[in-house]
Amino acid sequence: MKEKLSPACKVDSSPSPPIKTSLDKQSASQQFCRPAFTQKFRESTGGNVWWTIFTLLMIATVSVRFYKLRYPEQVCWDETHFGRHANQYLQRTFFFDVHPPLGKMLVALFGYLDGYDGSFWFEVGKKYGDASYMGMRIGCAIMGALVVPLCFLTIWEMTASLPASTFTALCLIFDNSLVVLNRFILLDPMMLFFISATVFSMAHFNKQKRSFSFLWWFWLSSTGIFMAGSFSVKFVGLFLVFLVGLRAIYDLWIILGDMSRPVTYTVKHFLARALCLIALPVALYVAIFYVHLRILHLGGEEDEFYSSAFQVSLKGNMFHNSTGPREVAYGAVIRVKNNVLEGQYLHSHRQLYPVGARQQQITTVYIRDPNNRWFIKRHNQSSPLWNATDPIDLVRNGDLIRIEHRTTGRNLHVHRGPAPISNKMYQVTGYGVRGEGNDDDFWRLEIEGAAEGEVLEIVRHSFRLVSPNNKCVLTSTTKNLPEWGFGSAEVACNPKMHDDRAYWHIDDNRYPRLPNVSYTIYELSFLERFIESHKNMFMGNAGFRPKISDFQSRPWMWPINFRGQFFSVEGVVIYLLGNPIIWWGHCLCFLLYFLLWIVNAVIEKRAVNIAEKQLDLQRRTLNTCKWLFIGFLCHYVPFWPMARILYFHHYFPALLFSNMISGMMLNYILETFSEKISPKFYTYFVSGLLLVFFYSFYLFTPITYGYPNRPSQYNDSQMYGMKWISSWEF
Amino acid sequence: MGDTEVKHRKVNRNKNKNEKNKEIPNPAVDPRDEGDGESTPEALPEELTEEPILKKSTSPKKSEKKQRNAGKAGTATAGQSLADLPTLAVTCHFNLLPMLLFGVALATRFYALDQPNSIVFDELHYGRYAGLYQKQTFFFDSHPPLGKQLLALAGYLGGFQGDFKFDKIGSSYNASVPVFAMRAVPALTGSLLIPLVYMIMLQLNYSQWTAALAGFLFLFDNALLTQSHYMLMEPIILFFAMSGVLCVLKFRALERSGNAQAHSYSLRWWGWLLSGSIFLTCALCVKYVGVYSYLLGLALVGHDFWEKVLGNLSLTKKQVFGHAVARFFAFFVVPLMVYIGVFYIHLTTLVNAGPHDSAMSSAFQASLEGGLSSIVRGQPLEVVHGSQVTLRHAHGSPCWLHSHAANYPVKYADKRGSSHQQQVTCYVAKDINNWWIVKRPNRTDLAVAAPLDRISHGEEIQLVHGITGRNLNSHNVAAPASPTKQEVSCYVDHNVSMPAQDVWRVEITNREEIGDVWHALESMVRLIHVNTSVALAFSGRMLPDWGHNQHEIVGDVMVNQPNTIFNVEEHRYTRNEDEKDRQLELMTTDFIPLEPVVMGFWEKFFELQIRMLFISNENVQNHMYTSSPWEWLVLTRGIAYWVSPDSNAQIHLLGNIFIWYSATIALAAYCGLLIFYLLRQRRQCYDIHEEAWNQFRTTGEVLLLGYVFHFLPYFFVDHTLFLHHYLPALAFKLLLNAALVEHLYYLTRLIFAKQFFNWMCVLIVLTWMSGILMVFNKFLPLCYGLGPMNATQILDLKLRETWDFIVHKP
Repeated sequence: MKEKLSPACKVDSSPSPPIKTSLDKQSASQQFCRPAFTQKFRESTGGNVWWTIFTLLMIATVSVRFYKLRYPEQVCWDETHFGRHANQYLQRTFFFDVHPPLGKMLVALFGYLDGYDGSFWFEVGKKYGDASYMGMRIGCAIMGALVVPLCFLTIWEMTASLPASTFTALCLIFDNSLVVLNRFILLDPMMLFFISATVFSMAHFNKQKRSFSFLWWFWLSSTGIFMAGSFSVKFVGLFLVFLVGLRAIYDLWIILGDMSRPVTYTVKHFLARALCLIALPVALYVAIFYVHLRILHLGGEEDEFYSSAFQVSLKGNMFHNSTGPREVAYGAVIRVKNNVLEGQYLHSHRQLYPVGARQQQITTVYIRDPNNRWFIKRHNQSSPLWNATDPIDLVRNGDLIRIEHRTTGRNLHVHRGPAPISNKMYQVTGYGVRGEGNDDDFWRLEIEGAAEGEVLEIVRHSFRLVSPNNKCVLTSTTKNLPEWGFGSAEVACNPKMHDDRAYWHIDDNRYPRLPNVSYTIYELSFLERFIESHKNMFMGNAGFRPKISDFQSRPWMWPINFRGQFFSVEGVVIYLLGNPIIWWGHCLCFLLYFLLWIVNAVIEKRAVNIAEKQLDLQRRTLNTCKWLFIGFLCHYVPFWPMARILYFHHYFPALLFSNMISGMMLNYILETFSEKISPKFYTYFVSGLLLVFFYSFYLFTPITYGYPNRPSQYNDSQMYGMKWISSWEF
Repeated sequence: MGDTEVKHRKVNRNKNKNEKNKEIPNPAVDPRDEGDGESTPEALPEELTEEPILKKSTSPKKSEKKQRNAGKAGTATAGQSLADLPTLAVTCHFNLLPMLLFGVALATRFYALDQPNSIVFDELHYGRYAGLYQKQTFFFDSHPPLGKQLLALAGYLGGFQGDFKFDKIGSSYNASVPVFAMRAVPALTGSLLIPLVYMIMLQLNYSQWTAALAGFLFLFDNALLTQSHYMLMEPIILFFAMSGVLCVLKFRALERSGNAQAHSYSLRWWGWLLSGSIFLTCALCVKYVGVYSYLLGLALVGHDFWEKVLGNLSLTKKQVFGHAVARFFAFFVVPLMVYIGVFYIHLTTLVNAGPHDSAMSSAFQASLEGGLSSIVRGQPLEVVHGSQVTLRHAHGSPCWLHSHAANYPVKYADKRGSSHQQQVTCYVAKDINNWWIVKRPNRTDLAVAAPLDRISHGEEIQLVHGITGRNLNSHNVAAPASPTKQEVSCYVDHNVSMPAQDVWRVEITNREEIGDVWHALESMVRLIHVNTSVALAFSGRMLPDWGHNQHEIVGDVMVNQPNTIFNVEEHRYTRNEDEKDRQLELMTTDFIPLEPVVMGFWEKFFELQIRMLFISNENVQNHMYTSSPWEWLVLTRGIAYWVSPDSNAQIHLLGNIFIWYSATIALAAYCGLLIFYLLRQRRQCYDIHEEAWNQFRTTGEVLLLGYVFHFLPYFFVDHTLFLHHYLPALAFKLLLNAALVEHLYYLTRLIFAKQFFNWMCVLIVLTWMSGILMVFNKFLPLCYGLGPMNATQILDLKLRETWDFIVHKP
């Protein structure tokens, strides 16, 4: 009975609006049960009180996280991406994305379990209608909700302090932004789950007394497994590796210092960690990719991002059942493609350049078109035709060649005038009549990584074309030409020879005298496909560059809750914004942490005499916070120098650590003063804190759950007057 | 195997001290006796152990010392007879090695200094800036001015008038440019670098031979030579940084010496502390990268404070506090004063308007002589009903609110519709179409008449475009390039029930300083659209061809952002053609500010700071000679500085590849050894003597940390990077290299008892040094641009495929 009327009782009443009642209950129950319970709460080491509070917290989590989950019944924000990817998994169509596959696979799995067939076309703002989307949302919400117990248990494991764990959990439960993030089909809740699970396992692992026991192995490998999960969802999860790695190095350092054990003991520890924290995660990651590539075996719309050899293994793709001569002979009709991500075809058409030399345009295009066909000739040949009686003359590495556009009969030509857009490069034109031209049409074929005289093969070989006269290399600059270029992109000759965009390959070859072979011989092994996928992902990620003076979310804005992010669809305003009280509280806790850190360091250095108990509390708090703070830094600092476009939601992994530090700090404050103040006051303080958390959460619920609402400048809006900072945009 | 051997020879630090002393012969000469008096009294064993080998080479010194003693003895004997007279004697002693090195440095740095007599690489900028200093013309550069001021000073002393036009790399200087004087600044600082590093190595307790080796590496690195030979900033910044590091080290030596208490607050103590912080700040004032040297100094001093002062329990609280305040003063207050002082000179010197004015705000420009001030001088101050104004976008790159007689296209490329009303843009050039007339919504006449109808904060106005006479308008239509923002147009009535919404409210953001009345130039205003409460904003996007590639202007819900701030730049009152004309003219004269806008130093200083640090986006894209930090380690690319028009003679920045590779290897070796020692010590195995370990650790604290500070940040910047950005880090790496050589020598002595191995060691070092000399000599033509060279000679130098030398003649 006493326990039921505890301050923590307030938690279960929190999801329901009547705060008034909870206040009443509290005041009514104060006189008799408080101090005893307070004491138990402070010093709990398990048992009933612990379970009561844990249960209440779980009830609160579930009610806050799953409330109105079905609503809004439209596709919101990035649901469109992840929903589409789930579709593609369910329909086995290949796609290109910059994130690793685990998160999207899980989304697809949730949909599959719910009986979703992958036929709904996701588009922002579109009503779901009778598509079964709840499975995916519930799956994400469950993973997001699990973060609360995991963080609670982490702090419990690290400090065995129930108040600290409770405060951490409360900060997480009543944070509006986490609620918003958990409500949709997004990858973030999954990543947060994996991160908190890793930290949880790590905390357990560090508590193990007996090395190499079963539990020791269990928690070590679960750390590795969850870590693999986190970076298989998003590459941002890789920052977690720093934390885990630093902790492992630190542990090894401690073990090494133990002179009672031989060095081999440290080596054993090292090998165990290398196995569970390096080999195991890498193996899992590769395995996930293997599954990914096995599931997606049908060609789709985004195949063009990948090389021709990659596309061969996609069913339904043009290359899948294709045939053609393997080797290239003089006189063959070829199609040349650039090697970069989403490479384009070398192209020409009858129109002339309006700038520079008024000669025929040479460009690159995405589409396949008869104008992409070229004859390959010896440099001293003007006609591409061959006699059936001549021996077959194969193109070899290092040959001087000429390339003639099939439909117009002009040679690929370069001269030392500036290219139309990249004016540091030379202009490439189509020149000559019916293959007649001059020696500026000569190109030396340089096959990458091949010996002199090796025969040029299609698909497999990538090569550069170097103009010996002008000392430059044929490059696709990928810059779009103005209107006169019909939307195609510029081709130029770069005097700077080290250019990544100067590599080309042939993906189509027609020559009747050589036997056609099936393209299946070019099929890539899993490892090659794995490597190529990663190359493309990194290039894609690097391509996310902000446009100048676009509004950019920068890391300094995040901790101070400077600005949120819209999740709205028509008619519903949902705004990803942290609970300002909690977030600004985090900032204060950080300040307190720094202060404590400095004070403690000086105290230790100057050997100042303070109470043993206080010193012990300080040391324990700082030791725990040290690793949490390193975790925070690992997930926050790397964003500062990033040139890539950043979003508010990148902050949330760091926020988890910030929450835990806040929990520790609140506990520290209360413990420090608990001797000086009455237990009664302690109780008031805790309940007051609880109320503040809940009430501030309640204030911002309209934009969290998306109640039908009007913009905040109108005074009949529920958010009227809630725009505390002018940079919030609801 | 090696492990056991080392273990076998493991040094027991606690027990065998005496034995150790026995092993090591007492020094005959301590090289540091000659140099400075500050060095710590106790001698280091590894230095001493070298003695047998060094004996022969130090003989000149010895004889010098003997002479000195003889001299002393002489005076003493003489003094016997004339005991009561004061002795008059000057004893001077030279340390020959650094003198020799300095001499060679001067010779290499000053050799053919005025050749080639044409603009080499960034002399284009720095020379031009030096010229602008002579003319006292304002310019904008994203680096602080100290280096350019030194160049300008040298130019001034050499009689430079600033008349030369620095147009492009390679054009010849005429007689008016004192090339020698101006290049002498980097050449001199670049030469001084060599004795400086010599002293730094001594200060780190290395022997004079190691110090000389460090000087040798600096002396014969082609990149440092090339950089010191032309008007470039790196030698200057290196000189300041190294001087600062040396002073900080001297300061540390005082702090760490046995009687640190006695030295505290002494003249020498203050001298080294203050000069250290001043030199480091000077490095920062040459280029912002100098901040890393400053941070290194700060870290060293801070670390010592923590360990030696705070950790010293014999000091009282008051004493600790006093030390903290003194260091705070030296490392925060003094640098700030130096930094501001440099800018004070900069801003008080450059009083004339020049080519970069438009990077600054209108008020800033108006405070310069002859620029905007000549236009705006005499223009009315207060904006009233009937004012004709140009509105400048106040933040970032300059542009002016603009409209022209062309409408938005009916449909955009992405198939959205527009209002098809007249375009409003932000135009980067001055143009007749930038003029707008401020008008009250309820008045129809436009002439300015007494009493003036002043516009204040919060009042509503209309803006009429001067040439087309249409009103600035906004409405709920998506903007052309930013679909989430609202379109701004000049209202055209297409009779499609789209009413004019052309009333704007004036909000003055800086009315605390300026007051509520709208002033030209000074007031920063936001125009808030009355119907929809959006703010007139610059979106940063460009309009396509139909908008003549001008910048887009939108209505933005986000009011509180810098892109919504405008100010009136040019301003005049509308006059009527009729009889009021004269009357008005008389009247307006009363309101003309008679003096040019005066902007205080602090205002100018802060504006310049903000623009330098946050708004400068000098990003040279697609430059041919860019390189990435990884490439610097192995010298993948150089930079072409200059090429002779007549032959293939050229200047190409390339390091001495032999030095660069060995320094990279040394870096790796040092890190490997450090980790090895740390791991071994963790297992209580002490492989080297404590003194050797202390020296090794201090080397890491200063040199490795310095290298990391100057190198790592480049991985995280988004600028275009060049090889010369690496030079400050390289300086630390070269010192580390020299230090490692001595440490390896120490290790050979520790492991092998036989003299033979020591000689082998010396032999290897000598071979290595001669190799360096050969490479240096081979690439020397590329440093001085000596010619003529033919294509084969150039290609002969091309040791790596990626070195792009220019071959334009046979």
